[in-house]
Amino acid sequence: MKTAIKNEFLVSPFLVFFLMHGMQYGVGVLGFQRDIVKFVGHDAWISILIIGILVHIIIWMMYSMLNKDKGDLITIHQRTFGKWLGNLLSLLFIVYVLAESITVLRSYIEIVQVWMFPLLKTWPFALVFLLSVYYVVSGGFRIVTGVCFLSVLLPSYLILTFFVPIPFSNFRNLLPIFDHSIYEIAKSIKGAAISFSGFEYLLFYYSFIKRPASSQKWAHYGNLVTITLYLLVMIVTLGFFDQGYLKKVLWPTLMMWKIIELPFVERFELIGVTSWVVVMLPIVCLMLWSASRGIKEMFKLQQKKVLVFLLLICFLICCLLMERETIHQYNKWVATVGFYTLFGYIPFLFVCYHLRFKVRKKG
Amino acid sequence: MRMWFRKHPAEHDQNTVFALINRYKQSGDFVHFHHPQSPQAYWISYFGTLIDVEILHRDILPFLNKTAFTTLEEAKAALPFEDVLITSDLQQIQDQLLLGSVLIQLDEKDSICALVRAEMKKAREVTIPEEEYSVVGPKEAFVESITTNLNLVRKRLPISELKVKEFTIGALSKTKVAVLYMEGITNEENVNTVCQRLTDLQFHQILDSSFIAQLIADNGNSIFPQLIDTERPDRVAGVLAEGSVVILADGSSHALIGPISVMELFNAFEDYYVNWQTASALRVIRILAVSFSILVTPIYVAVLTYHYQLIPKDLMVTLVASRRNIPLPPILEAIILELTIELLREAGARLPSKVGQTIGIVGGIVIGTAAVDAGLTSNVLLIIIALAALASFTTPVYRMGNTIRLLRFPFLLLADLWGLLGIAIAFIFLMVHLLRLTSLGRPYLEPIYPPRLKDFKDIIIRLPFSSQSKRPINLQTKNQIRFSEKQAKEVHDIDE
Repeated sequence: MKTAIKNEFLVSPFLVFFLMHGMQYGVGVLGFQRDIVKFVGHDAWISILIIGILVHIIIWMMYSMLNKDKGDLITIHQRTFGKWLGNLLSLLFIVYVLAESITVLRSYIEIVQVWMFPLLKTWPFALVFLLSVYYVVSGGFRIVTGVCFLSVLLPSYLILTFFVPIPFSNFRNLLPIFDHSIYEIAKSIKGAAISFSGFEYLLFYYSFIKRPASSQKWAHYGNLVTITLYLLVMIVTLGFFDQGYLKKVLWPTLMMWKIIELPFVERFELIGVTSWVVVMLPIVCLMLWSASRGIKEMFKLQQKKVLVFLLLICFLICCLLMERETIHQYNKWVATVGFYTLFGYIPFLFVCYHLRFKVRKKG
Repeated sequence: MRMWFRKHPAEHDQNTVFALINRYKQSGDFVHFHHPQSPQAYWISYFGTLIDVEILHRDILPFLNKTAFTTLEEAKAALPFEDVLITSDLQQIQDQLLLGSVLIQLDEKDSICALVRAEMKKAREVTIPEEEYSVVGPKEAFVESITTNLNLVRKRLPISELKVKEFTIGALSKTKVAVLYMEGITNEENVNTVCQRLTDLQFHQILDSSFIAQLIADNGNSIFPQLIDTERPDRVAGVLAEGSVVILADGSSHALIGPISVMELFNAFEDYYVNWQTASALRVIRILAVSFSILVTPIYVAVLTYHYQLIPKDLMVTLVASRRNIPLPPILEAIILELTIELLREAGARLPSKVGQTIGIVGGIVIGTAAVDAGLTSNVLLIIIALAALASFTTPVYRMGNTIRLLRFPFLLLADLWGLLGIAIAFIFLMVHLLRLTSLGRPYLEPIYPPRLKDFKDIIIRLPFSSQSKRPINLQTKNQIRFSEKQAKEVHDIDE
C-alpha cells in the first residue's frame, strides 16, 4: 500500500538524537519549574527523574510498535483499529499536534511580548515565523532534520549560562529529600509532563530513518540529555530561588539569566530570548511536517497544499489568542490533553497493537 | 525529403560553395582571389581578420606555388599541415571558415575544397593572478584562451586519467567549453550532471564562464555562488586531483569548480603553501571576519534602537557621547554610511587603479572625518562600518565578498524592525537557505549538515598533509584514498 521512501530523503540514524532532544528542549525550559514546584517544592528533581524514566519506557514502546510495523502512526492505527477508526484516531492525534504547535508558538511570542517588546503585535511576528517554517518544511524532512541539528548545536552555548547562578545558590534548599507524598509527585508529573513532550513525533518520522531499528539507542541518548539538562536547570533553580518566591515566578530560567554580567553585555535574558527563537524553529517545523505528512498519507493530498492550510490555521488561532488569560487557559487544555495522549494513549495503543497481533496469530 | 518542402526554388543555387563564398564576400574582410601564374591555377578564400597572415604567406602560398598539383589530394600532400580537410560538406566548410581556415579550390565553382587551419591565436601572456593573488606559491593565472588554459592544467597533471569533454555552447557565440575531470577518481554522476546541464543550456551568447555559472546553478535565485570560479591553474589542478569537476570556457580567464560547499569559499589556495597551523588560523580569522562583517552593523542598530539595556554603563557612556549630537536614528545613520562605503567601493572598481587610490583617500579620510565633524554620524559607527567593509574583503573568493555585502542589508532592516529578534529571524532564513542549497546536487552546507566529521580536515581548519590521506566524502569519489596513510605516518620510537 505504501511506497518506500527514496534513499535520498532518508537521514542517518544518529540524527535521531537531535530530532529527539531538539523537540523536547523547547519553550518549556524557560518556565517549567513552577508547574512542578507548585506541588512538590524542593523535591521537584525527583519528579523530573520519574518523568525521564517514563519517557524512556514510552520511547521503547514506540520502537517496539514501529520496528514491527515498519510504517508510521497512520499504518499502526489502520492495522490496529481498521481503516475508518484508525484514520479517525490519526486525525485526532494530528489535531493535537497542531494544537501543540500553536501553544509553542504563542507561548514564545508571549515571552517576547513580556520580556522584550511589550508593544509587539502577535500577527506580524507569527506571520514571518510561519513563513520561515514554510520555507523549512517545503524543503522536506532532510531540511527539517538539518534545522533540528543546527538548532541544537548553535544555541548550545546557553547551557553554560545555567552554571552561572551556582555561586549565588544555596543547595541546602534541596533538603530534606523525599518530603512529599506519592500523590503530590504524581500531580506534579501531570503538570509538567507537557514540557518533556516531543518524543512522540518519532511515530511520524520513523520511516525516514536509515536502518531505523538501529536508531533506538540514539533516541534514548537524546532523551537522556534532555532529562539531564532539565535536571540541571531544576536543581540550579531550587538552589537559586527561595521557594515561596519561586511559586510566583513565571519564567525562572529567564530570571536567572538576569544576573549574568559580561564586560560588554548586561541583561543577558534579552540574548537568551533571542537565541530561543532558533531553538523554537525546529519544534514548530517538525510538528507541522508531521501533521501535513500524516494528512497527506491518509487522504492522498499534496503535502504542500496541506501545509499551507495548516499554517493558515496556526496563524489564525495564534492571532485569536490575545489575552494572557486565554493563552494560559489554552495552554492548560493542551497540557492536559497532551499528558493523556502521551502517557495514556500511547501505552494503550501499544497494548492494543500487540494484542491485535497475538489474536491474529491464534486465529 | 527536405527538398519537397522547400520554400524558395532559388535556394538550390544557394547550397553551393560558390554561393556561400559570394554571400561571404559581402563582408569587407573576406578575401577571395585567383592564383593563375603558378604551376596550377587555384582559388583561395578566407576571412582576413580570422587567419594568421604569417602562416598563409610562410606555410601555405609558397608550397602551393612551388608544386604542380592536379588534385586537392596532391595539394594536401604538399602542404606542411597534418590536418588538411578535404570536404564538400557545406556546413563544415561554413564552420571552418568562420573558425579561421583557409579554403583552397581548383576552380571557383567546385563543390569539393581543401580547408587548412590557419587561425590567428591572439592571447594575452600568462600573467600574475590579480583576484587571487598569493604571496607564496606559483604566480600563473589563466588567460582568455582555452588552449593555453588547458595547457596550464595539463602541465600540472601529466597523466592520461585527466579527461576533457568538449562542448560548443551558444547559438551566436559558439563558445568552446571544456569539462575536465579525472577518470577513476571523479564521481561519474557529478560529471554527468555538469554535461547534462551544459547540453540543456539554452542561451545565445556565452561571453565568460560566469554566464555558465549562473545558467547551470542549482538555484538560480540564490545570491550565494554555487560554483567557485578561480583564475589559478594550481587550484584547478588541486581540486581535480581531489575529485571535483572543472569547467573551462573559451574567452574566459576563470575556471569553474564544482561541487562545492559553502565553507570552501573561505579557503584560499595559498592555505596549502603555508604550514597547517598558519593556514587554519587564517581560515578561522576569515570566518570570524565574515560573521563580524554581516552582524556588527545590524547589532549596532538593534542595540541602539531597542536594547540599550544590554550595554554596561561604562560602554554606554562612550556610545552616548559619540551619538549625542546626531540628528538621525541609528538605522538611517547606518544605511547612509553603508551606502557611502558601497559607493566608494563601486567608484574605486570602475576607475583605473591610480585614480582609485585618490578616491580611497578622498572617500575614506576626507568624507569620513567630515561626516563625524559635521555631526551626521557617530565615530563609533564609522569605525564599525569601516571594519565591516574591510572584513568583507577577506574572503578569498571574490564573489563571496559581494554576497556578504548584500546580505547585510536584510539583516539591517530586520534589526531596525525587531531588534535582536529581527537579526535572529534573518539568521534563521539564512540558515535555512544554506541548508536547502545544493551545488551540482550535493549539499551546500556539508560537512556541517549532513554532519561528516572527517571532512572537517580541510574545512574551517586545515590539518597537515599527512592526515589528508582520504578525499572529501562530499565529492563521493570513486577512489577515496589519496595515498597510503601508514607509510606517511610511520611511527618511530625514541632513538630508533
